[in-house]
Amino acid sequence: MTPRSAPRGLGRRELLRLGGGLGMAGLLGGALTGCGTGRAAEPVTSGTVDLSFWTHDQVYYDFFAAAAEHAEAAGSRFHWRLHLTQASAQDVVTKSIAQAIAGRGTPDVAGLEIGSFTRLLRGDLAAELLEDLTEDVAEVRDDLLPMRTAPYTKDGRLYALDSDAPLCVFYYRKPEYARLGISPDFASWEEVLDVGERLYEREGVSLGAVAVGSELGQVVQVYEMLTMQRGGRFFDEDGELSIETPEAEQALDVLVRGVQSGCFGTVSDFYGPAMQTALKTGKVISVPMATWYKVYGLRNNVPEQEGEWRIRSLPVFPDGGARTSFTGGTGFAALRGKENTLAGVELIKAGFLTPQEQVRRYVEMGYLPTRRSVFDDPSLSDIEDDYCGGQRMFQVYREVIDEAPVYYLSADRPVLDTVLSGYVLRAYHGDLSPREALGRAADDFRGQTRS
Amino acid sequence: MTIPPPTAAPTGGTAKPAGKRRQLAPYAFIAPFYVLYTLFMVVPIGTAVYLSTTEWVGLGTPDFVGLRNFANLARDTSFHKALGNSLIYVLVSVFVVVPAALLIAQALHTKGLRARDLFRITFFLPMVLSPIVIALVYSLLLDRDYGLLNSVLRALFGGGNTDWLGDPTLAKVSVGFVILWRWVGYLTIFFLAALQAVPKERYEAAELDGAGRLRTFTAVTLPAIRPVTAFVVVTSFIGAAQLFDEPYLITGGGPGEETLSVAMFVYRAAFERQQFGYAAAAGLVLFVIVFGISQILNRLLSIGRV
Repeated sequence: MTPRSAPRGLGRRELLRLGGGLGMAGLLGGALTGCGTGRAAEPVTSGTVDLSFWTHDQVYYDFFAAAAEHAEAAGSRFHWRLHLTQASAQDVVTKSIAQAIAGRGTPDVAGLEIGSFTRLLRGDLAAELLEDLTEDVAEVRDDLLPMRTAPYTKDGRLYALDSDAPLCVFYYRKPEYARLGISPDFASWEEVLDVGERLYEREGVSLGAVAVGSELGQVVQVYEMLTMQRGGRFFDEDGELSIETPEAEQALDVLVRGVQSGCFGTVSDFYGPAMQTALKTGKVISVPMATWYKVYGLRNNVPEQEGEWRIRSLPVFPDGGARTSFTGGTGFAALRGKENTLAGVELIKAGFLTPQEQVRRYVEMGYLPTRRSVFDDPSLSDIEDDYCGGQRMFQVYREVIDEAPVYYLSADRPVLDTVLSGYVLRAYHGDLSPREALGRAADDFRGQTRS
Repeated sequence: MTIPPPTAAPTGGTAKPAGKRRQLAPYAFIAPFYVLYTLFMVVPIGTAVYLSTTEWVGLGTPDFVGLRNFANLARDTSFHKALGNSLIYVLVSVFVVVPAALLIAQALHTKGLRARDLFRITFFLPMVLSPIVIALVYSLLLDRDYGLLNSVLRALFGGGNTDWLGDPTLAKVSVGFVILWRWVGYLTIFFLAALQAVPKERYEAAELDGAGRLRTFTAVTLPAIRPVTAFVVVTSFIGAAQLFDEPYLITGGGPGEETLSVAMFVYRAAFERQQFGYAAAAGLVLFVIVFGISQILNRLLSIGRV
């Protein structure tokens, strides 16, 4: 058989090379150069707006839908029609970025859970993706709690407004405390450890719990809470690691001693079946946690314990610090360069900036105001909470809000969660002292963030 | 085979376009494959190679950094740990799962076995279960404080405070066990098919020669199923080297990074830390390692050779 010669200039190899080369050049170039946000669309400035609203929790959608109605009734130039997309907190960020790469389909307003928001701090992601709200809050800037704007600020620009001022308090089950003959009026963490150790030996009951499972964020959550209460922090204002401090060491020391003595129980999932079992069986009868824990942790997991729980400010560290701390939060942001960007910004302002809506947010959702002046609203102090036995919880929050620490984020926060969680667990096990654990975590962190 | 002589090209004014069409026709027929191959293989691989030389957060233009990502990987303790863990998963897969699958297949191949289909389904079932379900079930089973396993141990022996997912060594053992549980049934199917294809005459001949069970297994069965064994070993190696589901869902790579696999490292860098260039570099390293070792295994085990 005589091979047929290919036509000149169109050999098989040449054709394949040409096709491959063109495809590669076209797609690679298109994919990567097109990854920037597109040109800014002409913004809609009034009228009816169909707004794409992404969040991990339906309750935010309900809140903003009502806020939109209230704003319209008050004469807003927009008539918002919200279209909800619900996804996990991580996915809201991942899919927003993916849609931005695709060049369309991004949300107009997105609820960014604080742990996921850190991803947007890397490079220029926040600036590329989110509308700068700095000017929009200028009028009330002095009244906004700086500790709740700092986490969502990068290079002096504010990219999201927080849905809550998630103060940490000490939840305790009053009837169980009474039955076991202990008082919740602990003067300090040292007293908690002392009482807790004896209680665990006697009854097998713990005065708190820490997560030791596969959720790295959960493992470090309580530790970070106590570190901030003590006056330390994981990252400083410049985003530099700050865990090799006496404050961070003392906080870890309290947890380590608590875990090893049984004062603090260990659970694989702080928000799942393990913690639910611990609460239901009465193995854990108090928890230091944020305001939102009443809804997501207690009411969801142990509704039958309604009326039994109470809150108080956190027991203090003898060497200093505050009576409260922060953990959690979800910032709402408008995506930039879209025709609905302005409408999105106006919706966020209508929902999260007015005193009336901040009051309503606490009444309906239990989320604290982020404007300092609203804490002085007398109507909030009188609200009695059914789940907490009619306690006027806001009075506790009002008492400690001015002690709340500032919380700074860093793009490298996920790296820290990974390395720190491993060493915190080793400290719990007694393999490392708190100082060694923090030192090694810092070394690993620096090794992994070298690039 | 006779080959028809080439048709004479028509002459005249219409000859040229028709001839060109005929010359192009074969390319048009094979074009769909190459277009798809280019789109879904060449371009992604090329993009990954390009990205591995850049720093990119997902939006905007990637910054070219040359080989810096690879240099950083070489010094990244996290990546070293992931490589070490992946090696453990590979060893478990090749030296535990594959032999276990062969033994189970041999057992299922036994003459006169009752409820053979029931056993087959039972062993195969984990393979078709959703990894999410598997993760949920195992986290409930292996939980230190409230898990079923520890509850049983507590009831039987009074201890039962083992931290199956929180202890660095036990967490690896737990992931290894889930790999075994999930994959052994699937591989058993391959071995069973191979065993059924071994000619009976060979067993009869071995019996006549006075070979015992072990001798028959090593001298008749193993050589006869060698091609299938080689295939299973190579695919198990590739699957284990790229393992993601089990450690991601059961331990999240923890405690710390004690069960982190390379695939998880890549995922984490890209989708949790927005380090796409770094992730691409790690993915490329994984690709080179898997491809290289697969080629060596192919040659050693003579896969695809008569």
